[in-house]
Amino acid sequence: MIDVAAPEYEGLATRAIAFALDAAIISGVAVVVGAAAGISLSVLSVPSGVEAAVFAAAGAVCLLWSTAYFVTFWCTTGQTPGNRVLGIRVCRADDGQPLRPARALLRLIALTLAAIPLFAGFLPILVDDRRRGVHDMIAGTVVVGSPDDIDHVVGDAPAAGPPGRPLRR
Amino acid sequence: LELQLQTRESDAGRRGLRSGLLGLGGAVAGVALRPVAAGIDVGRRAERELREAVLTRAEAAALAAFDALLVSRLADEIVDRALASPLARRAVERALAGPLVEAIEQLLADGVLDQTVARVLEGPELERVVESALDSAAMERLVVRVIESSLLEEAVERLLQTDELWLMVDEIARSPAVAEAIQRQSLGFADEVAGGMRSRSRRIDDRLESGARRVFRRKPRVPPAPEGSGG
Repeated sequence: MIDVAAPEYEGLATRAIAFALDAAIISGVAVVVGAAAGISLSVLSVPSGVEAAVFAAAGAVCLLWSTAYFVTFWCTTGQTPGNRVLGIRVCRADDGQPLRPARALLRLIALTLAAIPLFAGFLPILVDDRRRGVHDMIAGTVVVGSPDDIDHVVGDAPAAGPPGRPLRR
Repeated sequence: LELQLQTRESDAGRRGLRSGLLGLGGAVAGVALRPVAAGIDVGRRAERELREAVLTRAEAAALAAFDALLVSRLADEIVDRALASPLARRAVERALAGPLVEAIEQLLADGVLDQTVARVLEGPELERVVESALDSAAMERLVVRVIESSLLEEAVERLLQTDELWLMVDEIARSPAVAEAIQRQSLGFADEVAGGMRSRSRRIDDRLESGARRVFRRKPRVPPAPEGSGG
């Protein structure tokens, strides 16, 4: 019979490090853009009411940037840059495909909600057989090792299933 | 008929007697002349050895004289005077004006030089010579002396003072091949760091998970088995 490697579900520490890298990238870009905008505004005489509106718009842009970052990467390759470094991939639990935009957005919202109660929404990752957090359960996703992860190549961990291969329900 | 038969028998007897006497005489003469032949052989051998000894001594003496001439100031003086004389100039001019240059040009045009160089480079002789030179203790001593001498330091200092060297370094540093190599090296290092981070984070995952499962009194997680593994 054909021996197909089982997916390796990724744990809390790996995912936390990947998320921290993504957060650093998002924050770094936001800080650079915000600083550039602030310096530009400082040379202009902007009324205080307009300034508040500009700050609100900057906040909205920052939120949009964060959302677009995660949704875009989850919907295309399933890997954010942080995930890429750690060799992990977000995919649908039922068929292993990358997420659709609606599901990615739902996962991001659920991720935010899971972090609110002192990150308690992530604790199921430690005890669930497929290492899913609350946001994974809500969005129907899993986080698996990437097929091109070098650790898998050298045999440190079993290789993840290729995109499109059904995962265990 | 009987008379004829008797005559023939007497002739044959005479011939046998004569040949026997001749053989006996030859043997006696050989024995008698043996010391003479030995003496001639000894004389020849002595002459040959003497000649070889004389030639060897003469060669050694000639070489010693030539060596002495080479290291003497007289040789330098002779060479200097010969080179400074109009004779040398005329000789060079004649050589260049003569058929020598044409012959060399013809050789070059025929590709003889190319073939010779290719043959030397591709043949095993050059490799053998280089290998034996590299393996020799004399070469090792020579290299050590060159490294230990101040000649190398002076050469490096002079090289560092030249502008051409730094122009060349700039050119090399700006070349796409070097940039690509540096980029590849950096990516390799980044991959290595990322790989180390992955393996460590996965070990931490397993520890955290086993600790949490112990706290919640759950069974250790069984890694999913490969699909279609026959059982």
